[in-house]
Amino acid sequence: MKLAVALPLALVAALAFGALPLLTDSNYLVGVALSALIFTVAAAALNLVYGFTGLLSFAQLGFWGIGGYATALTVMTFGGNFWMGVVYAGLINAAVALVIGFPILRTNRHAFVIATLTFALLVALIARDWVSLTRGPLGIPNLPAPQAFGIVFDTTAKFYWIAWAFSLVMLGFLHALCSSRIGRTMVAIKQNEPLVRAQGISPMPYKLASFAISAAITGMAGGVFTFNLRVIDPLFLDFYYMQTFLIIVIIGGAGSFWGVVVAGIALSALPEVLRFSADFRMIIYGVILVVAMFIMPTGVAGWLHERQIARMRQALQ
Amino acid sequence: MTIDAVYLLQLTLNGIALGLLYALIAVGLSLIFGVMEIINFAHGELLMLGAFAMCFALPVMGLLYWPAMAVAILATMLVGFVVYELLLARLKPDEFERSILITLGLSIIIIHVMQYIFTATPRMVDSQYGFDGVEIGSIRITWTRVIGAGSALVAFGGLYLMLRYTQFGRAMRAIAQNRDAALMVGIRPRIVARNAVILAAGLCGLAGAAISPIQLVTPYMGQFMIFKAFALVIIGGLGNIPGAVAAAIGLGLIESWIGGFFEIAWQEAAVFVIMIAVLFLRPDGLFKRGGMRVG
Repeated sequence: MKLAVALPLALVAALAFGALPLLTDSNYLVGVALSALIFTVAAAALNLVYGFTGLLSFAQLGFWGIGGYATALTVMTFGGNFWMGVVYAGLINAAVALVIGFPILRTNRHAFVIATLTFALLVALIARDWVSLTRGPLGIPNLPAPQAFGIVFDTTAKFYWIAWAFSLVMLGFLHALCSSRIGRTMVAIKQNEPLVRAQGISPMPYKLASFAISAAITGMAGGVFTFNLRVIDPLFLDFYYMQTFLIIVIIGGAGSFWGVVVAGIALSALPEVLRFSADFRMIIYGVILVVAMFIMPTGVAGWLHERQIARMRQALQ
Repeated sequence: MTIDAVYLLQLTLNGIALGLLYALIAVGLSLIFGVMEIINFAHGELLMLGAFAMCFALPVMGLLYWPAMAVAILATMLVGFVVYELLLARLKPDEFERSILITLGLSIIIIHVMQYIFTATPRMVDSQYGFDGVEIGSIRITWTRVIGAGSALVAFGGLYLMLRYTQFGRAMRAIAQNRDAALMVGIRPRIVARNAVILAAGLCGLAGAAISPIQLVTPYMGQFMIFKAFALVIIGGLGNIPGAVAAAIGLGLIESWIGGFFEIAWQEAAVFVIMIAVLFLRPDGLFKRGGMRVG
């Protein structure tokens, strides 16, 4: 998409989303939009590692959980407030990502996938078993509503503004990053790593940076989502979240920023539309995943791009 | 401290029995990775299907252990065949990430279809051996564990002989070692890959059937096992079958010892901590990959 078209469109969409609580009284609708925004941010962060840098990372789920717990614990155990909690969530995740990212990224891409998956499972186990810190399966209920400038964000509609502002900042940052020279280098690493090395660029710092940045953003998104739920327990690390992020990235088109954003908004509404039963919904998710991998492995954005190229070829002939 | 020695020996034997079952799963994963360079995320679901098959076949067979196990193995091999023909055969050799996402989707579908049909209620499986055990001195091990470990050993023996001495096994090793050269001498990768998937599925079915009288059978049982098996194939070195077996038995022992002496929480976490430590020290796994040599 051309910038001249994309930017006004994005602004209009952002304002429309911002105005949503004014347009409707339905808490349900605002709640759905709220999750859509948060999931889109988490999916866009996954897109940074997987779509741009080409590293299929399941660790996102772990970062999501660490972020949620870090934010909740900052408030409930360490006496901080929500805003500090979200910042800590980002910092802790970035630090964890750097520490585990270095050894994992030294391995080949096969081992990377499994090692990141293992990390996510380890985080889930810690959340369940380190009872003195996380209170185990009971979780931490009754998280207080965040406050700022004398406003208490205690209703869904008010909390929605936080999620809205957060997602705008994060998506804006990710867009700036992805369209910068750094973003292009990441794509180059995904497409041809030996060539990147031959150009005198060391891939490691870029991979590590994309892993850590996406970890920080995923963690902050997890922190905000926790306070939307008002409770955190080990179910926050359910594999369901990872599957949702993955499906958004794949349907949208890995490596396409706007594709993933649009898919994030559209697909987050999907579980609400598919309100049959949890099992049936998951079966449909699975089918979507398998079918999408076969008929359009590059997602909707990739499919549109291919059609555009085909049309240009035809015009040339 | 004689009691401690007996306790330790008991834990060790249990650990070996557990490790052999892990090894069955990990070997299947390694075999498929060696031949196709893909990771089968739905491998744990094959194990779960094997356990369910055992669970339903046993009452029909009048609680006879061996025929029910044969049914379970055949059922999972059939599933492996269908999965290969429908999904995996369409993958090209260098589509690792795509293979993961496709088999992940498949795993989601199988788990939730099973849960939809049979509900998530855990099932106890009773066999002709019940909870009888064999007693050596003051050590007691249930027959189902002994048989599970024994059939795993027989399966490894069979696998070794097959990979070493049959045309079928040699073709698999050839593809794993050098795909292009194997193509040049007329080996058909599609057939070999299909055989490898069926074989791995059968091993998984055996593991599922052997586990079902020991553990509760639920649609989620495969997920716990498979995540451990993933870590094991990394520790052993991807595609390295003896490495995977060694890592699996080692893990069975470590888990059993930890379970006996420390808090239970550490038991589950051990494999993941070990894996991260191994990746720090040896990024290619403890045993470097050398084709698919067995023995």
